[in-house]
Amino acid sequence: MKNSLALGFFALSTLAAHAEYQQVNLTVFGMDCAPCAHAIHVSMKGIQGVNTVDVDLNTGLVSIQLTPGNSAAMHQFNEAVEKNGFTHKDAAVIVRGELSGSAQAPFLDVTGTKDHYALTPLATGTDIAGLLGKTVVVNGTLPQSPKGKVSDTLRYKTVTEAK
Amino acid sequence: MKFQLVLACIVLVTGSASAADHGPVFSYATPVNSEREFSFDTGIIGRNGSQGTQLSTGSGFGYGVTPHLTLNAFLPASFGSGDLPESRIMSGTEWSAGASWRFLHSVTSVGERIESTASLGLVVPGPQQDSGVLGSLHRAPGVAGTLVTGLASRSQYLWLGGGYTRFAEASHDRRPDTLSWSAVYGYRPPSLRRGYDKWDYRGFAELTGEHTGAVRSNGVILPDSSATTLWLGPSVLAIFKNVAIEGGVQGPLFRDVSESIYGRERVRFAINLSYLKYSSHTSSH
Repeated sequence: MKNSLALGFFALSTLAAHAEYQQVNLTVFGMDCAPCAHAIHVSMKGIQGVNTVDVDLNTGLVSIQLTPGNSAAMHQFNEAVEKNGFTHKDAAVIVRGELSGSAQAPFLDVTGTKDHYALTPLATGTDIAGLLGKTVVVNGTLPQSPKGKVSDTLRYKTVTEAK
Repeated sequence: MKFQLVLACIVLVTGSASAADHGPVFSYATPVNSEREFSFDTGIIGRNGSQGTQLSTGSGFGYGVTPHLTLNAFLPASFGSGDLPESRIMSGTEWSAGASWRFLHSVTSVGERIESTASLGLVVPGPQQDSGVLGSLHRAPGVAGTLVTGLASRSQYLWLGGGYTRFAEASHDRRPDTLSWSAVYGYRPPSLRRGYDKWDYRGFAELTGEHTGAVRSNGVILPDSSATTLWLGPSVLAIFKNVAIEGGVQGPLFRDVSESIYGRERVRFAINLSYLKYSSHTSSH
């Protein structure tokens, strides 16, 4: 029993180390000046696991690169925007997680966080059924969510098995 | 005068504060602090008239309780004497503390938002006396409220605001009630709409006006002691990440002021330095 528990923890920790947000490109509305961008930069850098942050004031795009093995959750990125008085729109993400559910209704669990998304396709052609139960990398878009909330749907462009 | 200038400079360097922040230097504007953001502002505000020059250090402090609610305090000190009429737009000798609430915040597109902010504060006499007719009055605390609305964008800014200050009576004396208003237009040229890691510049045209009521001394209204003025002038704001410096000058457009009591005010000027300390705090899971 002890061995089983140890194995379980080992498997879980391995999974956590390989399941995370890798890139988040968040569109932010309302930033007009340099201090606005600086405030966003400081807030994003305060999230554990964030490696680099780039803010483009003219497009409103906040590009966040994360370190491998991070456990940052999507609500933290949204909160970093909200606490500075701005509004987050769609977010393009590249995220690793475990694919569950069925081919018709797949879900992605971002291990190491409580983030759980229903996956809907932006385009056809991905063999979801063959990836169920596996760790995958999803490239997709999280639609805008109300303040204090995170979208429960991730619209994917591609889903590939994680290496 | 040299000594006073040196003193003013010392306070400019060492003072702490928030007031102009990163908006116009004379006028009312809507921005408030981010959540957990500290802001420190300090500067010199000057009024020159026929009876002398009055310098005030506009030193303030702000803290963002929420993204839309900021607590602030303003602790000016004045140097020189101009025997000028009461002004709430140009800080005098009163200390103040209060809160600003951005009650309307509508984000319309990338870099653009429409918002309205209301402020309410307590104004208390500072340790210094005013000069001229105001200097002979017993002073009492007052209440100041402002309301401002406008638009901020990457290219243009427009804010309209007004304020009212009413002082209590002390020993049959009362400082005049003051009604203030401002309209400011700002512009950032396309070539200066750059990345946030470069200096960010914008220019403003600032129109401000004030009407101060009559002064009451020993229970008697002093004749011709009310004043109405309208001022216009440019200002420039430069920001690098979390540090801002701005300066502006205004000349009179309209004056209805008793020159025998207050002299003839000719020019107003201001320089402000801001430091913004943002919080990196975020919640965990």
